[in-house]
Amino acid sequence: MVLWYATAGSLDRQTDAALRTDALGLIESWRGAGARGVAEAVAERLANDVEGTAIYVFLDPAGRRVAGNLDRWPRGVEPDLSWTFTTVQREGTEAEARVFAVEFGDGHRVAVGRDVAEKNRLRELLAEGIAWSAVTATLFALAGAALLRRAVEARLRPAAQTAQAIAAGDLSRRVPLSRREDEFDRLGESMNAMLDRIDRLMEGVRGVSDSIAHDLRTPIARARAKLEEALGGPGEPEALRAAMEQGIADLDHITRVFGALLRIAEAEAGARRAAFAPLDLAAVLRDVAEFYAAVAESRGQALDLGLPPRLEMVGDRDLLAQAVGNLLDNALKFTPPGGRVRLLARALPREGVEIVVEDTGPGLSPEDRARAGERFFRADSSRATPGSGLGLSLVLAVARLHGGDLTLEDAAPGLRAALRLGPG
Amino acid sequence: MRLLLVEDDAEVARFVRKGLQEAGHVVEHAANGRDGLFLAASEQFDVLVLDRMLPGGVDGVRLVETLRAQENRTPVLFLSALSAVDERVRGLKAGGDDYLVKPFAFAELLARVEALGRRPSGDAPATRLRIADLEMDLLSRTVTRGGKRLEIQPREFRLLEHLLRHAGQVVTRTMLLEKVWDYHFDPQTNVIDVHVSRLRQKLDKGFDRPLIHTVRNAGYMIRAEA
Amino acid sequence: MRALLPALLLLAPTTAALEPAARVTTDSREYCAELARRFATLPNAEAEPARSLAAEGVRLCDAGHPRTGVAKLRRAIRAARMGQ
Repeated sequence: MVLWYATAGSLDRQTDAALRTDALGLIESWRGAGARGVAEAVAERLANDVEGTAIYVFLDPAGRRVAGNLDRWPRGVEPDLSWTFTTVQREGTEAEARVFAVEFGDGHRVAVGRDVAEKNRLRELLAEGIAWSAVTATLFALAGAALLRRAVEARLRPAAQTAQAIAAGDLSRRVPLSRREDEFDRLGESMNAMLDRIDRLMEGVRGVSDSIAHDLRTPIARARAKLEEALGGPGEPEALRAAMEQGIADLDHITRVFGALLRIAEAEAGARRAAFAPLDLAAVLRDVAEFYAAVAESRGQALDLGLPPRLEMVGDRDLLAQAVGNLLDNALKFTPPGGRVRLLARALPREGVEIVVEDTGPGLSPEDRARAGERFFRADSSRATPGSGLGLSLVLAVARLHGGDLTLEDAAPGLRAALRLGPG
Repeated sequence: MRLLLVEDDAEVARFVRKGLQEAGHVVEHAANGRDGLFLAASEQFDVLVLDRMLPGGVDGVRLVETLRAQENRTPVLFLSALSAVDERVRGLKAGGDDYLVKPFAFAELLARVEALGRRPSGDAPATRLRIADLEMDLLSRTVTRGGKRLEIQPREFRLLEHLLRHAGQVVTRTMLLEKVWDYHFDPQTNVIDVHVSRLRQKLDKGFDRPLIHTVRNAGYMIRAEA
Repeated sequence: MRALLPALLLLAPTTAALEPAARVTTDSREYCAELARRFATLPNAEAEPARSLAAEGVRLCDAGHPRTGVAKLRRAIRAARMGQ
């Protein structure tokens, strides 16, 4: 429409402007030289009309033609400064004309016009051109949009299907990547990262509920059974007292397990990030090692250190100490007297830190290691060891809170637990 | 000691009050924060034991903040079911002196209350701590018993210092873990016992009278007489 | 504007019945002659290209193409004026 107004519309405006100028010129001539002046001006203009579209007719008050190239006043034209479209005969055919009429004071009147047949034809051509180009452009746009849409749909289909599958409850699905490394792959990658995190959280929730079921129900059941047994027994004061003491000890154990679960949940939810601060990990590790060295010594084990003088990072001192403490505690528990436990730490070549705890104990079978890597709760709590049974779960949660991971390897003999922490 | 207990759970309050009274203390009790604040502000107490969450618009944290704003320096022990680390930090920041998570053993509560109530007054910092024939010099960082110098490692020194500062009082394992090592987690193993027995060996070996005593179901105590 | 066109076309037959449309008189041999006279009075009438344009115009008029002839003559007049 804008194009139409700019081109075809301007043709009309040109015509009207020319007519107005023409008429004003004739009014000037009338003022200067009266009817004769107008007649002369009309003749002059007709003689100069190279395009051959000019139309003039100049009549005296009696309606007789004084000058011009129309044999009579054009029909339907009022001589009152009005604009009109009319038809004129030209070489036997009718042609459309645009006419502007002026009446002078004494009854003389003049009609100034232009044959616009040519312009109309031009305008029709223009209209047709614009229409065609509009149609073509629309077709191209539609085709292009359809192609683009199909391409986008094709690239998004895997992601959409994955999202649908996940909405339907299958959290194991991942968006396949095209290796084109474009925006869609980036979208897919971040979707996958998000899904991994959700999966881990879900696994954590599952794990926590499994653990709550196993690690809390079992001791509660045990405590309850013992108390009930004591109640139903002969009721000797000594026996009752012993049963109550055992009951309190069981409750304390339950409290510890509960505390451990809460702490894991806190770490997994990332709530502990508030306690992140710059720290020297080497100093933290030395303190923990010293703390557990007394235990090693009392069991005739050796605890060796391989730590750099300083190891700067950002993290949660208490959680890191607890995580490394759990690893050391595990290592010491599984290493026979006379064995050796080593605590090593180093800055990784690029970014991050690696903490390694190696022992000379029996280690874990490859299957157990793999299972421990998948599901710490099960693998860990199924082992009949003292403690809350949640040690490695906490280590893993702490590692992930610090943007890292925990790997268990064979140290031949013994177990090698490597705790890698991100750049904080 | 004269103690104020602000606790809304009637059963816990009764249990704590009875235990503290049996330990020889005078205990006032308030069941909500408003009454607690009124009592704490109008009377003199040695230690305030506050539940962290209280009904009546004034919770434990608000109560302490109000007291501290009035220049009231009475030591405060928080009791709380909230164990998250920032809850603990918030309680201590508000002006609390210690934080005990529910459920707790009564011995733990008693030990902490007594430790708070008999805190060394800050006016003359001691440079020497002494019990029986054991002497600890905080400036030269040496320990002697019966005039004989003992080889003590830095961490053992801090452990002994803490026990000596609370001589005659029970110090629990958790208190030692928190005050000597600044750890707030469960070390899984009886690590504290191992450390204490190592220190005990150094201190008591070759002497007839042991100084470090184990208090059953509670913790440790350093005192001159068995 | 385009909407006006069909409206006018509808109107045209009804009005045409009442009164014949005005006829353009400048597409005629008479007007050719008038322009030729007018051209001849111009001072530069003998200069090129005005002179040959005029001659061709007159020839076209004589050959029965008054409209083209008139156009040529008008261009001749303009050329002559411009040459002044």
